[in-house]
Formats: sequence, C-alpha cells, structure tokens
Amino acid sequence: MNDMVFTAIVIAIKILVVLAVTLGLGAYLTWYERKFAGHLQARRGPTVVGPFGLLQPLADGLKLMTKAPIIPRGVDTKLYYMAIMMALVPAIMLFAVVPFGPSFKIMGHEIKPIVANLNIAILYVFAMGSMAAYGTLFAGWASNSKYAFIGSLRKAALIVSYEVVLGFAALSVILLAGSMNVFDIVDSQIKSGVWYIVYQPISFILFLFCLLAESGRVPFDIQEAEAELVTGYNVEYGGMKFGIFPLAEWYLNVLALCAIASVLYFGGWAGPHIFGPFSGFIWFLAKTFGLLFFVLWVHWTLPRYQAKDVVEFAWKYLLPISIINLVGTAFFIYFKG
Amino acid sequence: MPWASSQTLDRIKRTFRKITIDTQPNFVCLIVEDTQEITNILKHLKDVEDFRYFIDFHVIDFPKEKDRFLGQYILVNPYTFERLAIKVWFKSNKLPTAKEIFAGAKWAEREAYDMFGVEFEGHEDVKRMFMWEDYKYFPLRKDFPLGGIPEQKLPSLTEVLEGNTFPPSHDYDIMHTYVPTIKDIEKTEKSRITKKGQLVLNWGPLHPGTHGTMWFLFDLEGEHIIQTDVILGQLHRGMEKIAENLHYFQFLPYTDRMDYLSAVCNELSYVQAVEKLANIEVPLKARYIRTMFAELQRINSHLLWLGTGALDLGALTVFLYAFREREKIMDIIEGNAGFRLTSAFLRIGGVHYDLAKGTLEVAKYFVKDFYSKLKEYHGLLTRNRIWLKRTKDVGVITQEDVYQYGLTGPVARGSGVAYDMRKIDPYAAYDLVDFDIPVGDIGDVYDRYLVRMEEMYQSARIVEQCIEALEKMPENEPYVNKKHPAVLPPKEDVFNDLEDMVKSFRIVVHGENMPKGEVYSSGENPRGELGFYIYSIGKSSPYRLRIRSCSFYNLSVFPKVIYKHTISDAVALLGSIDPVVGETDR
Repeated sequence: MNDMVFTAIVIAIKILVVLAVTLGLGAYLTWYERKFAGHLQARRGPTVVGPFGLLQPLADGLKLMTKAPIIPRGVDTKLYYMAIMMALVPAIMLFAVVPFGPSFKIMGHEIKPIVANLNIAILYVFAMGSMAAYGTLFAGWASNSKYAFIGSLRKAALIVSYEVVLGFAALSVILLAGSMNVFDIVDSQIKSGVWYIVYQPISFILFLFCLLAESGRVPFDIQEAEAELVTGYNVEYGGMKFGIFPLAEWYLNVLALCAIASVLYFGGWAGPHIFGPFSGFIWFLAKTFGLLFFVLWVHWTLPRYQAKDVVEFAWKYLLPISIINLVGTAFFIYFKG
Repeated sequence: MPWASSQTLDRIKRTFRKITIDTQPNFVCLIVEDTQEITNILKHLKDVEDFRYFIDFHVIDFPKEKDRFLGQYILVNPYTFERLAIKVWFKSNKLPTAKEIFAGAKWAEREAYDMFGVEFEGHEDVKRMFMWEDYKYFPLRKDFPLGGIPEQKLPSLTEVLEGNTFPPSHDYDIMHTYVPTIKDIEKTEKSRITKKGQLVLNWGPLHPGTHGTMWFLFDLEGEHIIQTDVILGQLHRGMEKIAENLHYFQFLPYTDRMDYLSAVCNELSYVQAVEKLANIEVPLKARYIRTMFAELQRINSHLLWLGTGALDLGALTVFLYAFREREKIMDIIEGNAGFRLTSAFLRIGGVHYDLAKGTLEVAKYFVKDFYSKLKEYHGLLTRNRIWLKRTKDVGVITQEDVYQYGLTGPVARGSGVAYDMRKIDPYAAYDLVDFDIPVGDIGDVYDRYLVRMEEMYQSARIVEQCIEALEKMPENEPYVNKKHPAVLPPKEDVFNDLEDMVKSFRIVVHGENMPKGEVYSSGENPRGELGFYIYSIGKSSPYRLRIRSCSFYNLSVFPKVIYKHTISDAVALLGSIDPVVGETDR
C-alpha cells in the first residue's frame, strides 16, 4: 500500500515536472530562437521587455491570450478545436518517453527520471509523431480556407515521405542496441563506450532530415511556406489558438525529437562526471540543445524545398539509402555480434 | 542614335508607298493612312525588317479630329537596335488587333480600351486592365474630368456582409470604387471551374508573395496552375492623366511614386525625355552625379529583389543581410536629397542640390565594402543545392517570348537578349564609364538571379568610376544648367539673386512653354526599359505623356510561363520578374 502511494506520488511529481519544464522551455525557446535569429541576422533580437528581453515570451503569451477570439464563417467547429488538441497533445506526450538523466535513489527507492519507462519507447515516438500530423491535417480541413487546405495537403505529402525513412533510420540503432527501451539504448552505449553516431552516421543524417520534416522546419516548412500560402494550415487561427501550433510543432516537437536523437545517437546522459550529481542531466540537456541549435541554424539559413522535391528526394534517395544501411547493419550484427 | 536609319526607312517606303515618314530629332515614325493595312505593315516590319521587339503600344486622344484616336506602336530591331514608331488612326474607334503578331499587344490593347474606350477587331473579349468591370467611363479621354466622376457609395464591410446598418458604421463619401462581395467571388469561382477537382485560388491582392497589391486568380489542378488571370489596378492613380494637367517640372515627384524602389532611375528617365524635348544641355558634374545615384539606386533595388526573392523561397536571413546594405544606400540618398525612398533629387537641367559634404567618402567606403558583401550573398545562395533546385529550369522565358511580350531589363538579359539602354543609347554619363552587360543563357529563374547579382557588381564599378571623376572636379562646378529658360534655378540662388528669383517665380507659377514636337526617350531602370513618350503642343504641360512601364510588360508573360507549374514555382517566377505595382498600375 505504502509502496503504491509512493509510486503514485512520484509519477504525479514527474508529470508535473515534465509538464512545467516542457511548456516553460517551449515558451522560452521562442525567446531563444528570436535571440539566435537576431544575432544571426545582424540584429539584436528582443531587448525591450525585461533584461535581455527575457520577459518577451510572457508578453507574447499575454498578447495572444487577450486577443479577440475570431472563428471564421463556415468552419467545422469541432474539428477546428480538435486540431489544436491534436497538435499539442502528441507533442507533450512525446516527453513521456524522454529520459532526462540516469536513475537515482531517494529514500531507498530507485527513481528513473522518465514518466513512462516503456519497452517500446521508440515505437511510441513514431506513433506520437504521426498523431501530431493529424493536428495539421485537421486544421487545414476544418478551416474552410484554400490556403490552409493546400498547406495541410502538403503536410500529408511530407508525412508520406519522411515517416518510412524515419522508421528505417531508427531501426538500425534499435538493432545495435537490441532494445526499444530508451534506458537500454543508453546503457548499451555507455557499456560499449561508443556512441551510436560512430556506427550509424548515415542513419543519424537521415534521422535529422526526418526531424526537420516532422517539425516543419526549414528546408521542409512547405506546409507553412509564408510567401506562398501566407502561413499555410494555421492561417485561419488567431490568438492563442494560433500560438499553440508553432509552440507544439516548432518548439515542443523539435525539443522532444532532439532529445530522442541524443538518446539514440549521442549516448543520452553519457559523459564525464564533472558536474557532480547533476552531470548526467546537464550532459543530456547540452546534447539536446546542441542539436536544437543546429536545427535553428538550418532554419535561418537555408531556402525551402518544394513539396514534390521533398517526396522525390525521400523516396528516390533517402529510402534506398536507409534500407541499405539497415540491411548492412543487420549483416554486421549477424556475423560479428 | 537608336532610331531607324534613313536606309531602313527608304526600304520600308519603297515597299509601302502610302505611308508617310516623319523624322524629328528625337523621334522617327511612320504614319499609316490606311487603317486596314496596319496588320500587313506590322507583319512586314516584324518578319522582313526584323523589327520584332515589341516595345509599346499607346493611344493619343484628339477630340477635334475626324478620327478621334491615334494609335502608336513602338518597335525595336533587336539586332541593330533601331527603334521605330508607327502611327495609325483608328477608323470609327476601331483598329485591327496586333495580338496575333505581338503577344505583348494583348495587354497594351486592354489598357488602351480601358483608358480610351477604343476597340480592336479580332480582340473582342477585351477586358478592363485597371478599372473595374462595369465602370462606364474612359479616364484618359480628354473630356474626362480630372476629378473623376463620383458615382458609388463605398459600403463598410459590415454593411456588405450583414446588410445595411443604421446608424452607418462609417461616414463614407461617395467613392469611385465598387467593392466585390463574397457572392461575386463565388460567382467568378463557379464560372472558372471546368471539371471536378479544380480549385480557384485568389492569390492576392494582399498576399506576402505578391510584393504589393497584385491580384492573381489561379485555377489549380492539384497544385498545378492551369490558368492564370492577373488583375491589376489596385494602385492605379492615373499618372498619365495627372501629367497632362501639370507643368513639366511638377510631374517629377510623381515619377518617384511609380517604381518606388528605384526613384532616381525613374526621375532620370523622365528628366532626360524633357531635356531632349527642350534641348537642354546638362553640366558634366550633374551627369556624373545622376549616374552615381542611379547606380546606387539600382543596387538598392536589386538588393530588395534579392532579399524578398530569397524570402519567398524560404531563405530568411538573406533578407536582412540585403536590407543592411540597402540602409546604407538609403542614408547616402537621404543625406543628399533629404528623402529616403521617393527622393525627388533630380531636376530638369541638373540635380537639385550639389553633393553633400562627405558623400563621396561615404559612397567610396560603401562600394569597397559592398564587394565583400556581394561575395557573402553568393556564398549563401549561388551554389546552395536547395536554391539551385528551386530556381534552375523554373520559369524559362525564351528569346522569342522576350521579343513577343516586350520584356526588358534583367528579364530580357537573363534570356540572352543584350538589350540595355545604357549601352544602346547612353544617357547621363554612361558613355564615360566602363561597364559590362551580363547576359544569361537559358532564361530560367537562376539565370535572372545571376544576371541581377552581376549587375550589382557592375553598378558598384560604375559608382566607383563616378566617384573618381567627381573627386577630380573643382568644387564650384555648376550642377544645374540654370542658363536655360526652362530650368529652375537652384534654391540658394533664388534667395540671393533677383533675376533667379523672378525666373523661379515665372516657372513655378506659369510653367515654361516647351517647343512643339514629340519625344520618346527611355532609360534603363532596374526592372527594364522605362520610356516616356511626350507629345508636346508647345504648352507648359504635355498634351499626352505616355509611360512605357517595364514591370507592366514584364508581368504580362507571367500567365504563359507559369502554365502547368506549381504555386511554389509561381513565387519563384514572380520574384525573378520582380514587378513593382506602383509601376504596373501607374
């Protein structure tokens, strides 16, 4: 009984912490991105609200929330609202399988800093990633706007191209680790002392491609494509209803996928113990933010592809490469391991 | 001289005996008596005499003549760069259409119909170009009042959507515009869709991809565009009508507001036309200053094209990198003219002010710095695989298209037509500086990109040479030819010198009568050939001033090129054509 209560409390705390951290981080990533983009573009980014513009995300949130709620005519209201949930919920749910650090002990109980230690964690990531696409699709369909509609169709084309590649790319890592559990994957990297990026550089590049595609970042932001479709699928949303979409797609999704990528390829929290008891957490966050930095860098530098180019690129080049990579890995493991 | 030589004219005269040839110092035209023969003559000029480059078609209104309207074509031989105008009278408001011979004439005829109410045989379904569909009047006719004819009340949006409200939400005056309702839009949509699975996309008038208030109607099949209509006129201000009612010097600031991104170049084209008409000599210093500023403005305009073009294709950072440099040019212009965008810096006979102190040093430093910045832009885009994928073999404009539609500027040069007014008919100080004309090969978006990038480099070279020449000049060199009676004296002389004050008063109040005659003169704008045709009857304002707009004709090729391409290509193509609505609509 006592044990059960304790577990329940721990899980509740975990969920609260993850929610607070991810949503807070998501909001502050807007600040990070704007500051980053500012310095990249020879400007200074937000400076006015608070020191270094640090209160800017709060001001933005306040502004978005106090906007007049406008729902265009001819909208499928249920789907219109559901699209917001469909975008936000899977993005947050992704964090359920993100291990923020090594397990530690409190009052004799071993606690793993993860909300749900699933044995099919990577599969769960794929599932949630695909679910998030429904948010875009619903938003485009429900908005009763042609721009939104075309935007969401483009997203559908994008899903068709990256989902398969994503699966094959991650599968080769799973083969190496022999498990889909994130803790097992990290442990096997720590045990062998080699991060999987060394064995699987091709798979990592493919994964990055899928990461950019799934989160709708440049060069695959075709569903938004400001100059063509105004802002694409979310053009009919206003206020915080609009704010949710970039928050979910551009920030939470990217953050979660960067975390997963650092688990799969960079050994998660593995690193020298130079920060005392928190070194695992710090290494993990450092790796995640390093990847995030790369994503932002790409976003603010490159032009974007066309929908047909993305599909062609994915099916003609990336998919064969990922299959060859997977088969090669399988042979390697069969004969060596 | 770019006008047709006497040998060519003799040859034409031998073939068609009925035409008269009118040779003026700045204008050479054939006057065709028989209206029905115009088609044959145009065909002959195009196929035999190689005048295959369509430059312009416009109409002049003479209310007192028997056949009221006079049509005028301007053609160019792209091999010898001879230019020729052909005048023909409308027979009872009708003229055979030239759209089969020159595709560019289609839009030109639409504009002529819109402004003068003239008709074209064989072009029956001619639509309004700038005014709305059920507008009853023809604004450029001489009997149309300058103030317009108010006829319609402009309702507010709530009134349109929910019926009349009382009390009315706004106090509107009677306006000239008709506001389309959602029903109208649905009606258009239904009439355009021919089969299932098609979509009519309203692209504009307020859309980030169109760079202004341009309205495209795309009929989509999937994401492929199978028909395009370009609806212009959102920024139509009737520049040509305004010009007829102003003194020559007063119209100058209006030219700034046409292609507002290249104000100095517009002024230069206009001022040069008036100077040719009145035979005004321009001092050497003014010529150099004009050249320098025109080229700075060209860099400025191309930078905006680069920034927005890259932004359209998703490269967000190039935009601000381009604007950073643009700002410096704006500062130079502001320091001299007092304005940043619509500078009104040139004057008939010279420039408004002498160079401000330190301009040359600043400009020198800017140019030196600009070469490295240009390399930076190249580094970001030129060999970028995504950029290549988006621009290579997209929106291919052939040489034939260039001649047919009268495309000029970087669009023509990207397709391999080395048509540059700065070389063909050097004005300002372009005959004194050394520069090259970059020419493309295939005519796709990428070629136009490279041409414009290289043009910026060449412009920087020209600016450098101008600075060198200006530095050698003594400081009190005259910058305006104030001896000529039609030239306004500079401000400081007006305040200190009685004679200049009197002269200034006279010109400002009464205007200076210009000699009778006709002039067609054009300059190379960043977007193409901006021509001014002036028909003077010896008054202080033109009887007819026609603006040959480069953006207008460049845009006319858009529906043809975009056929069966995607919306993403439309953005790339439109960015590479780079029209400015202020100039397409005038």
